[in-house]
Amino acid sequence: MNFREGERKAAAPALNSRSKMTRSLLVLGLILLALAYVLFKGATNSLQYFLTVQQANASRAKLGDTTFRMEGVVVPGSIVATPVGVDFTIRYSSSLDRVIDYGTPPQLFQPSIPVVIQGHFQGNAFLSDLIMVKHSSNYVAEHPNRIKDAGGTAS
Amino acid sequence: MSVPRLSSRRLRSALGVSALLLVGLTFWLGLFVTPPAEVMGNLVRLLYVHPPVAWVAYLAYGVTTAASLLYLWKRTRRRAFDLIAAASAEVGVIFTGLTLATGSIWGRPTWGVWWTWDALLTATAVLFLLYLGYLALRMVPMPEERRGVRSAVAALIAFVDVPIVHESVYWWNTLHQKPSVLNPSLNVEVHGIMAWTLLLGFVAFTLGYAWMTWTRYEISKRRLLLEEAGLAASIDDRMPAAEVVR
Repeated sequence: MNFREGERKAAAPALNSRSKMTRSLLVLGLILLALAYVLFKGATNSLQYFLTVQQANASRAKLGDTTFRMEGVVVPGSIVATPVGVDFTIRYSSSLDRVIDYGTPPQLFQPSIPVVIQGHFQGNAFLSDLIMVKHSSNYVAEHPNRIKDAGGTAS
Repeated sequence: MSVPRLSSRRLRSALGVSALLLVGLTFWLGLFVTPPAEVMGNLVRLLYVHPPVAWVAYLAYGVTTAASLLYLWKRTRRRAFDLIAAASAEVGVIFTGLTLATGSIWGRPTWGVWWTWDALLTATAVLFLLYLGYLALRMVPMPEERRGVRSAVAALIAFVDVPIVHESVYWWNTLHQKPSVLNPSLNVEVHGIMAWTLLLGFVAFTLGYAWMTWTRYEISKRRLLLEEAGLAASIDDRMPAAEVVR
């Protein structure tokens, strides 16, 4: 092996290591950028993800027509399908609000289910463009004949 | 000397096969035997996958943290702990990715959205990125011990997010429901065969985690041995050239 060959062999790992360093720092930088974005979204959205109907009604004047999320339970018998979506009443404790939703509600949307809706107040109603169903952590097997099996009648 | 190595390999294979069989059994029970749930109907079947993979992610990061602590303490500093920490974090990142993916697939039909910036989801995304960053840090070329120490410190910092993820549903208003199993009262809110299938899912995915981490650790160990052998050969190769130049 002559001197030049030896030099070339010695330089190759150094170049490799430098490009590996650049690549890994680039990847690390991209991950840090993504982390900063997620933390920013978290700080602006997650800390107060929703207000309850009660909290929203209490600060209605302050909220004005700003968009926010509101949590409550769908009042049974209040759901009316409309050509653009669905109208219903939402309740939290003793506070109630009429909701006008534009869009397709999720498949689990039904009476008495807790929901988080996104939108803003307009007049006496809450105009929503997104309904999210907030299901419980309790999982019970479906038992459609429970009342019949126990000798009762559903009516 | 070769007997224990062989039995360890057999044990690892048995672990892998058991994990595969139990995951298969979980899927069979979850898809064909367990009943649909009230309100959720057949959508409940993701219950047998989503919480177990989330649990495995927590477990993996717990192991990474323990191994990192052992590596940081000079009296217990061994290369093996650094490799275990890395192997477990890699598996943890896979399972965190699975947690986010299965949660998103479950969220679309139940909540009505693929993703929302609620505290639990956001903290889980942060967890994923923190450990991805940990793995990226390990790729930066530097002397082995320095890399081990820096990675161990990064692992300890990243682990701070694990309790935040778990407690986020209690600390903030979230769309995500509270845990059905790992709740403060340890009251399992899943009924009958659904609960047993969920328990099986936890066992199956935990065994899968153990097999994956062990296998990854063995691969890393062998790669290091090969690298060292290659380095030694390269030094031997260069010695005469250096003598010629001199």
